[in-house]
Amino acid sequence: MTMLSALIGTLLFAVIAPILGCLLAGLDRVVSARMQGRVGPPLLQPYYDVRKLLEKEDASVNSVEKTYIICALAFAAVSGGIFFSGGNLLLCVFMITLSSMFFIVAAYSTRSPYAEIGAHRETLQVMSYEPMVLLFAIAFFMATGSFNTASVFALELPAVVSIWLVFLGLLYVLTIKLRKSPFDLSMSHHAHQEIVRGITTEMSGPTLALVEITHWMENVLFLGWVGLFFVWGNPISIVLALVVMVFVYLLEIFIDNNFARVKWQLMLKSAWLVALVCGTLNFVLLVF
Amino acid sequence: MAMLGFLIVFPLIVAAVLAVVRNDAVRDVIVVASAGVIGVASIALVAMNIGAPGVFFAYSSGVVDMVCMAIGVLIAAVIIAFAVKYKNILAGALAVVQVVLSLVFELGFAHGVHVEFGLYFDSLSLLMAFIIGVIGSGICVYALGYMKDFQHHEPEGAKDRRPLFFALMFIFLAAMFAIVFCNNMVWMFTAWEITTVCSFLLIGFTKTEEAINNAFRQIVMNLAGGIAFVVALFYSVVDMGTLSFTVFIAQAVLNPAIALIPVTALAFAGITKAAQMPFQTWLLGAMVAPTPTSALLHSSTMVKAGVFMLVKLAPVFLVSTVPALMVMLVGGITFLWCSFMAISQSNAKRVLAYSTIANLGLITACAGVGTPEAVWAATFLVLFHAIAKSLLFLCVGTAEHHIGSRDIEDMDLLFDRMPRLARYMMLGIMCMFIAPFGMLVAKWATIVSLVEMGNIVLLIILAFGSAATFMFWAKWLGKLSGIAGQPENVETTVHRSEWGSVVLMAVLLVVACVLLPYVSAFIVEPYIAYVYGVGGQAISTDNLWISSICVAAVVIVLFAGLGRGKSRRVNVYMAGITADSDARTFRNSLSQTSEATARNWYMEDIFGEKKLAPVGVGICIVIIVAAFALSFVGINPGML
Repeated sequence: MTMLSALIGTLLFAVIAPILGCLLAGLDRVVSARMQGRVGPPLLQPYYDVRKLLEKEDASVNSVEKTYIICALAFAAVSGGIFFSGGNLLLCVFMITLSSMFFIVAAYSTRSPYAEIGAHRETLQVMSYEPMVLLFAIAFFMATGSFNTASVFALELPAVVSIWLVFLGLLYVLTIKLRKSPFDLSMSHHAHQEIVRGITTEMSGPTLALVEITHWMENVLFLGWVGLFFVWGNPISIVLALVVMVFVYLLEIFIDNNFARVKWQLMLKSAWLVALVCGTLNFVLLVF
Repeated sequence: MAMLGFLIVFPLIVAAVLAVVRNDAVRDVIVVASAGVIGVASIALVAMNIGAPGVFFAYSSGVVDMVCMAIGVLIAAVIIAFAVKYKNILAGALAVVQVVLSLVFELGFAHGVHVEFGLYFDSLSLLMAFIIGVIGSGICVYALGYMKDFQHHEPEGAKDRRPLFFALMFIFLAAMFAIVFCNNMVWMFTAWEITTVCSFLLIGFTKTEEAINNAFRQIVMNLAGGIAFVVALFYSVVDMGTLSFTVFIAQAVLNPAIALIPVTALAFAGITKAAQMPFQTWLLGAMVAPTPTSALLHSSTMVKAGVFMLVKLAPVFLVSTVPALMVMLVGGITFLWCSFMAISQSNAKRVLAYSTIANLGLITACAGVGTPEAVWAATFLVLFHAIAKSLLFLCVGTAEHHIGSRDIEDMDLLFDRMPRLARYMMLGIMCMFIAPFGMLVAKWATIVSLVEMGNIVLLIILAFGSAATFMFWAKWLGKLSGIAGQPENVETTVHRSEWGSVVLMAVLLVVACVLLPYVSAFIVEPYIAYVYGVGGQAISTDNLWISSICVAAVVIVLFAGLGRGKSRRVNVYMAGITADSDARTFRNSLSQTSEATARNWYMEDIFGEKKLAPVGVGICIVIIVAAFALSFVGINPGML
């Protein structure tokens, strides 16, 4: 049953998540523009951008880059499918890490010095957020008694009540996962803090379009993780979760627009410290 | 029983023959044929007894006892002779202490104790037999080609010492079979010491100053473990009146107080052999040996004997707090520290060594936890680590002979220069650190078992250690994946025996990952059920199948999908006019040619060895000393 539902979930996620993610990206650009006192592009601008990229010529520096990117996209879809079909949260975390790895390898494979620097930094970003993400999955088990995301519907109180410290910790590393400033080390959406565009330097045309779509899916998945804290047995809680998700996304946009990029040392140390403190304290609170 | 005897004795006979054969062609035939025989025999043993609970054979022999004693004296003589030759007082003294203790034990205490069932096997022994018989003998075949190149690189007129090398490799296999099949603890101890002295001779094989020093470091640390083993034997006879390993474990589970000291001592012996902190330096030093030796030590023998011992003792750890805490904490800290230190290494073999120690730490910690779920995870870690690590060592060894370096920074463009080898290496690396491959599934099971126990300390350690693991593997994987135009393919000169072994490991790896649910159901679960009476599989079979489907997909992409893209080729962007993408040169603003270089991150100031190692070693020494002190005083909080 798990396998079948994961398969159906993956297919549905692969269709729906890019649409939602595209709208989120559009919202991001509109809100960011307003914060900067501009009118900004139309809501569907990310869609127009990607459609244009897809129509461009397929040119690349080697024959393997696109294959790796397709893998990254596919495993992001599997990860989302497992998550939203009520599957195992740890497996979901592992699959999205696999997706990140393919993205990193794609950049390495080009041997472009700029892409390689981006790849190094992306590897460092993964290392920075991974402890907190794993602790999040573990805390979820401690709060619900199961790794299956579907188990939230059997709760009487939302998980955030018992693991709010882990929720705060996850919010901190979410900025790294979403590649928002101040933690947009591997590639930045802000032209002013990038010499050359980091990890995606050598990706162009249809390949870059696939990268964008992968990010849309990732964003939907990560917001799903946020929402997971606020769902319990009552169906209305889903509405609450959606409201929190939108609020968290707006918060991320706000942070993105108000901070300059930090050095990697600060990112690594602060993310690990947050994971250590939030994780340990919350576990201690749960066990005793 | 004939089969067990065959697996132990046959490699010894082969070793005796190889010790006198000086002809390359004859040696090739003997090694390949006998490796085939050992491999087939161990597979047959596994296949005929799949799912077997413990099977015991009534076998006791005064002759074998005498032989064991003679071997013990011989081993001591060899070590003392070397200690005198190279003026290493500590090694000589430890060898004397050990041989005196074991002679006193065997003549004064042991002969009154009769072990009826001298030989046995259960599903764990079968799994180990598969690892030793298939992976171990695969490495012996690989060594044929490697050692030819090795001899080539030796100075003109150097003595050809390969007969000794191959004889030692096969003695090693025989000793490993003896460790996993012997129920008589004295026999087991003898085999244990044979592996110690074999690896001593193999590490020191090149006879350079560094090799000799590292060999002595190995022997000193493992003799300390050996002495702890003898101490455990004394206590076992005096307090518990048995030398049967199975009876010993059963009694220790029923009455942890009486077995406290011997269990702690045996756990210590396992920790030294598994190169846990503070003993990690012997395994790091062992990489000066020729690569087949490293592959053998790291994957299928030696260190696996250590964790085999610990996994066997796992049910005791579940009820005996002091040794359990020692094993758990030492394992956990070793995992964390060595994963950190691996980040700062650019020497491929050193990265592999640190990763081995870290993974052994994880296995050790799982054994210390001792629940059925943790033992399930530990068993899978043993299996996948053996396959993936041997694959990686064989690949690095071959790459080293063909690109002339074992530095990861020099493996740039390996994908072009040795396309097949790079793919195998990438497969091995992926299996080590990324889901859905075997090691990560085992780590997943570890997390589940820990969270069910509420073991916060190990969970936190695991979370940070895994993140570090991602860093050092991903950057190596990235380095391998670099692709340029069409450099010369230097792969054509790889020996056929080397390819044979590499492909064998790769196939084993893929098969084991894809058929993981079956491996669980037919090999690992029977052992857990036999020992604990309940199953230990903490991950649902459906989720295991999702993993194996994903493994199949990744493998297909890696071996069939890559390099098929038909897009137009363009130059790499280098902020100038690109002169040559492959060489990464460009024309700069002064119309001169500049070369762009990029190096991986090693973060020496955060994860450097000099900074971290003393702290980890210090913590582990304190833990071990405290555990022994508590054991001798007889305090065991779990008993209260």
